[in-house]
Amino acid sequence: MLEIIAQAVINGLLIGGIYALVSIGVTLIFGVVKIVNFAQGEFVMIGMYISFYLATQFGIDPIVSLFVSMPVLFVVGVLVQHFLIRRVLGPNDMPQIFLTFALSLLLLNLSLMLFTANYRTVHTSYSDEALHLGGLYIPVAKLIAFVVAMALSGMLWLFLHTTDLGRAMRAAAQNRDVATLMGINPNRVFAVAFGAALALAGAAGSLLMPFYSAYPFVGQVFVLMAFVAVVLGTLGNVIGALVASLMMGVAESLGIQFVGADSGLIVVFAMLLLTLAFKPNGLGGGRVR
Amino acid sequence: MTAAGKWKAATLGLVVVVLLLLPQVVKSSFAIDIFIRILLFSFIGVAWNLMGGYAKQLSLGHAAYFGLGAYTSTIMQIDFGISPWIGMIAGGVVAMLASLPIGWLCFRLRGPYFTIATIATAQALMLIFLKFRDLAWGAEGTTIPNLGSSPLMMQFESKASYYYVVLGLLALGLFITHKIEQSWMGYYLVAIGEDEDAAEAIGVNAPRIKRDIYMISAFLTALAGTFYVQYIYFIDPATAFSFNISIEAALVSIVGGIGTLWGPVIGTVLLETTSALLQSWLGSTTGGIQLTVYALILMGIILWRPTGLMGLVTDAYQRYQHRKPARA
Repeated sequence: MLEIIAQAVINGLLIGGIYALVSIGVTLIFGVVKIVNFAQGEFVMIGMYISFYLATQFGIDPIVSLFVSMPVLFVVGVLVQHFLIRRVLGPNDMPQIFLTFALSLLLLNLSLMLFTANYRTVHTSYSDEALHLGGLYIPVAKLIAFVVAMALSGMLWLFLHTTDLGRAMRAAAQNRDVATLMGINPNRVFAVAFGAALALAGAAGSLLMPFYSAYPFVGQVFVLMAFVAVVLGTLGNVIGALVASLMMGVAESLGIQFVGADSGLIVVFAMLLLTLAFKPNGLGGGRVR
Repeated sequence: MTAAGKWKAATLGLVVVVLLLLPQVVKSSFAIDIFIRILLFSFIGVAWNLMGGYAKQLSLGHAAYFGLGAYTSTIMQIDFGISPWIGMIAGGVVAMLASLPIGWLCFRLRGPYFTIATIATAQALMLIFLKFRDLAWGAEGTTIPNLGSSPLMMQFESKASYYYVVLGLLALGLFITHKIEQSWMGYYLVAIGEDEDAAEAIGVNAPRIKRDIYMISAFLTALAGTFYVQYIYFIDPATAFSFNISIEAALVSIVGGIGTLWGPVIGTVLLETTSALLQSWLGSTTGGIQLTVYALILMGIILWRPTGLMGLVTDAYQRYQHRKPARA
């Protein structure tokens, strides 16, 4: 019994690492640019297709193709921020919500037309490998994904706390007007934040590819998790999003283990509704960092 | 009555006459099917617009109420033999009651996170209907027994009759919107939509107003749900709680003109006509083309015409008024 629980917790933590990459992106954009990117999941999907095509056309390992998907999505993010998001920033919610929502709808349906609804998988040499620790079973592909995801999250944290640009981003997140007065160019900061968030989504896509199928709707699974994790971890808080994502992964995995294979989403929604009912400001209690 | 008022009344009268005569003139069942879709989604858009448009509570979860309305009337009809006309009202009441706890939860969040919470509640309801087979047929859904011509059971032989039912629903929705627009509640809604904190500061009881308008909006959306499953004779969770319903409800209002009486109707006419044309040109083989085009229209509207098509119309009308020499 204890072993089953431990196994479920490990499975949850491993997938939670991927959720963390997506949620950190969502929370970074929300914290700095003050909008919610409904299309974040679709950028995970694009990352997956980039890795899929690099693997099938050129035989590049999906983990290695991270070095392509991340820069490509960073540039996409800067362009999206510059040509679309920048035009709707302001006190009015409606254009912001529905612009990113339209972007999500567009990317999803374009990929449905381009790639069809078929499931695409990449089989790597380590896709079926697993480590055995005592009675526990740890799939290598998920372990690599988890380790890289944590490393990338750590790098983002270091970037935000030790570099001038990172500090400028945090300053702009706290108070845009004062930051502008201090000589920070908000457009540049927003573009970097958006690019970085999309690069993380692209990384999530590449890391998923050795053990997960790519299909046009795949992003919806991850973005829903990310939204819940971001509410749970207090809006705009990077470390909160990371911790909440890992919790969500574990909760989902325990739900699948003990309630039934298709109950993962029910657990997620239950967590969202409970959070809203009892801790609407997130577990951190409303502090935004 | 002013001259402008007379023109308005005459135009409205003409529109009503044309709409009433339409199924008598156009006999193609394909065309009537499109008219019914336009009227239905206009009605859903009008219901959404009450809350999403006037009070700017941007829900993407109205499928929850559509589905509750559809399931309530179907369960009453199949398990208890009660007419869907009664089931429709019952469905509306169920949706109204459901909107209380859902609103209590979702209104704790504002802006985009309110939107996400509404998506989650609709999805959660869909999962409940998928999972609990004893409640309502699970994932397979059920066909609704066809009784032939039975107006008392909301089943008709001719598509034209369905057309008149949904036309009546739309008229009801527009009438309610018009009444609310002219009442104090309408002003409160717009005030909340502009700036909720400022509205509260001048004494608007925002939580109560939002709760009330959410109930009205949910009630109307549920009526559409009952009508829809009676029209297609089939119900399953994926149809009744389809995310596309929530999307289209918001989309038609934004494209047409958010927070205006006729916006959702104009938006639906544009989007549904586009979708019908695309389907006849490309066939239904190309999945995704319809929503791709919808997404492009939505982006275009948001970037260049945030007031929607109604904004275009009023701008043009005002320019025309300015050019006309003033009359005493």
